[in-house]
Amino acid sequence: MMSDYIVEMKHITKRFPGIVANDDVSIGIKKGEIFALLGENGAGKSTLMSILCGMYEPDEGEIYIRGEKVQISSPNHAANLNIGMVHQHFKLVEDYTITENIILGVEPISKFAGLFPYVGIRNANRKIEELSKNFGLEVDPTKRIADLTVSMQQRVEILKVLYREAEILIFDEPTAVLTPQEIDFLLGIIEGLRNSGKTIILITHKLEEIKKVADRCAVLNKGKLIDVLDVKTTSTNLMAQLMIGREVSFESEKAPAQFKEEVLKVEQLTVKNEDGFEVVKDVSFTIRSGEIFAIAGVADNGQVEIADAIAGLVKASGGNIFLNGQDITNDSIRNRTESGISYVPEDRQRFGLFLDFDVATNLASKQYYKEPFSNKGILNKQEFDQFGSQLIDKYDIRSGQGIKTQVRSMSGGNQQKAIIAREIELQSPLMIFVQPTRGVDIGAIENIHKMIIEQRDQGKAILLVSLELDEIMNVADTIGVIYNGQFQKIASSESLTTNEVGEYMMGAKHE
Amino acid sequence: MSKDKKKTSLRYRLIWPLRNEKWQPISIPVASILVSFIAAAIIILLLGKNPFQAFYNLFQGAGILPKPTYAGYKSMLTDFLQLLNAMTPMVFASLAVAVALRAGLFNIGVSGQMLASGFLATIIVGYSGLDAFIAKPLVLLVGMVAGGLMGGLVGWLKYKFNIHEVVTTIMLNYISQYVISFFIHMYYIDPISRQSKYITEAARLTLVNVEIANMKMNIPLGFILAIAIAVFIKFLMDKTVVGFEIKAVGSNRNAAKYTGIKVGSNTVLAMVISGGLAGLAGVTYYLGYFGSIQPKVLTNIGFDSIAVALLGNAHPVGIIFSSFLISIIDQGSTYMSSQAGIRQEIASVIIGLILLFSACSAYVKYKVSRLKDKEVDRKDSES
Repeated sequence: MMSDYIVEMKHITKRFPGIVANDDVSIGIKKGEIFALLGENGAGKSTLMSILCGMYEPDEGEIYIRGEKVQISSPNHAANLNIGMVHQHFKLVEDYTITENIILGVEPISKFAGLFPYVGIRNANRKIEELSKNFGLEVDPTKRIADLTVSMQQRVEILKVLYREAEILIFDEPTAVLTPQEIDFLLGIIEGLRNSGKTIILITHKLEEIKKVADRCAVLNKGKLIDVLDVKTTSTNLMAQLMIGREVSFESEKAPAQFKEEVLKVEQLTVKNEDGFEVVKDVSFTIRSGEIFAIAGVADNGQVEIADAIAGLVKASGGNIFLNGQDITNDSIRNRTESGISYVPEDRQRFGLFLDFDVATNLASKQYYKEPFSNKGILNKQEFDQFGSQLIDKYDIRSGQGIKTQVRSMSGGNQQKAIIAREIELQSPLMIFVQPTRGVDIGAIENIHKMIIEQRDQGKAILLVSLELDEIMNVADTIGVIYNGQFQKIASSESLTTNEVGEYMMGAKHE
Repeated sequence: MSKDKKKTSLRYRLIWPLRNEKWQPISIPVASILVSFIAAAIIILLLGKNPFQAFYNLFQGAGILPKPTYAGYKSMLTDFLQLLNAMTPMVFASLAVAVALRAGLFNIGVSGQMLASGFLATIIVGYSGLDAFIAKPLVLLVGMVAGGLMGGLVGWLKYKFNIHEVVTTIMLNYISQYVISFFIHMYYIDPISRQSKYITEAARLTLVNVEIANMKMNIPLGFILAIAIAVFIKFLMDKTVVGFEIKAVGSNRNAAKYTGIKVGSNTVLAMVISGGLAGLAGVTYYLGYFGSIQPKVLTNIGFDSIAVALLGNAHPVGIIFSSFLISIIDQGSTYMSSQAGIRQEIASVIIGLILLFSACSAYVKYKVSRLKDKEVDRKDSES
């Protein structure tokens, strides 16, 4: 049977305990196109591609590569079929050079004096340099991974699959970790790869990217294939609708803000990083009850440090922080939580969660030491479980095995839901959200925004740190634009346009 | 065809306990024990001896099975009590390793902590001539405090200066080994045995040569304490706020800090508990099983306990069983070598094999889950 598809997946079904990740999904991908997979977190995009890469085997269904039926049993087998994946979480050895990482597993063996085998690193260096030039991915192959920026590391990941002569390249959420400029560059690279004859599969939930580069796009929802669309003739709105199965409003609806008493007051806050360099300089601001104060700015301009300093994760080297009139500058983290701070951290896996603990334990992990979760130092496990199932229902946290699910096995969006649920349940007068929607799909973003606004309407003071300008313009009542550790401008959101905020963010405009 | 099917179903039934994740904590150690006995049997066969005979002798020597004849004043019970006597420090030492492991720390210094606490208890109480009712609890107390302080020092160095605990514990092993051997040689040496002088009977945690029903037995008082402490540690780790915080720090230090847990003091606390348990191992070893200290020697128990703790899944009840087994092989080895004519070292080989296979448990888990996937696929393609 001949077909014009280079990859065909027919009737793929894959089940995990408690969840059907892929339910009878059939897609065909043509040679030389950019094919996007669109879907919410947990829609089954990554599972489908992991099957194509040989990391999972499907429960049902068939795969055809170049018209031939294959059973892809391992990633090595996939590599032999010229399929390569650029992972979202890089799989690189930090202490190795770029070349060493790329050739790892397929080391070219030379022979010294025709007898003693050794790794021909010099040839490999040359080959990788050539390869990187051909595809516009210039790197210095002798540099160590630990010394590279995130976007450079991603280049290495791309080179890794190109070195293995991949013809079908799968990109798993490649832009999640990149800045806007880097995203543009990467999309250019992807188009270049397509033009040189490679077939690209792009897993993403960012509609603009799909609109920009993709030719066709398959939409998945809850494991099922909804539709395959021609990108050029489909509006982003329709794509979004199909993706989450209902209409989305890109703009959150919110009632006008009603500010009440002052909750948080930050006075001349200064924070130094580990190298003793001042990353937050002399920053002052206040947040009132019923107010969403958003810090806008390009990454690494001190906004995360402000949030960390308020929550107590880093020490302020100068200035004062007042919560409800009380000076909490030198309080412990636990005391601050007790006096009323909830904190949704930027890095949910490193800070927000104990990945090896179950959901119930994680949901109670900020209250375990108090009644009713424990009494005189003895834990009450029943209370943990009860609280857990209550929150799972209330916040629609999807987990395969209920309260006993290991958090590690949950999707990113559901992990975030669990953190937000835990923090809201603390009922703190001040809530800090740092990048609450990072790596989360559109449906969930809408949901999270709704929850934040709901909390505001209940009279909480909210500090939102975000790198997404749209999010800030959408949700914030007051915007503080930070540049180089200092506020360039603090004003109500109505009085600022997106462009103005952008200019302040780049440090181009001063007050 | 039908024969083939039978084969698969038999295989299926045999490995079922290994496949079921709920049973894996028990089935994998049991399987590794079985596999290592089979491996040992092959070795014994290669030596031209009967493995069943050897294993039988092993259990006879440990007092689990009766020997054909006993010397005067001895019986199976005597042997069995001696087994418990030897097992007691092993339980404590493995608990020490397990508590540290739960906090994400690797206490490789159990031997040094045992020696230091055993030595301090010996010179403070062992030679004091105090009454038994005061001396015995005092020995336990001194051991616990000395070990706890030494463990605490390791935790504090980690918290304050970020020195890795493996480095400090190994260094402290050497320091205690040589400093203590200096003091023993200078002040406490018994010129005949070339060991430290024997402690008083009153301070000893094992009642030696007690005559009951015309038998002479060694009654290890520490054993009851060991079981009680194991149950207490299980309770502490699973059911209390203290245990929760220690496990949280062990699971993810960053997240623990973020939730408001004091990472530093919990690191120190976990090491104090671990050291205190090692101290109890030290006093039940040097002032219980033995009555003196051999200078310049670190006991193997401290190192074996790492593997025993792993074999018991770092779980207190599991540790009781794994120490029991390892002690049986240890204790039975003398009798086995005299009866079956197999060198005593074969017992060490068996222990080594068990520990080796149990250390492979992560691999077994992985392999089993791979096999499961494969089997599902095969079934699909068949149907």
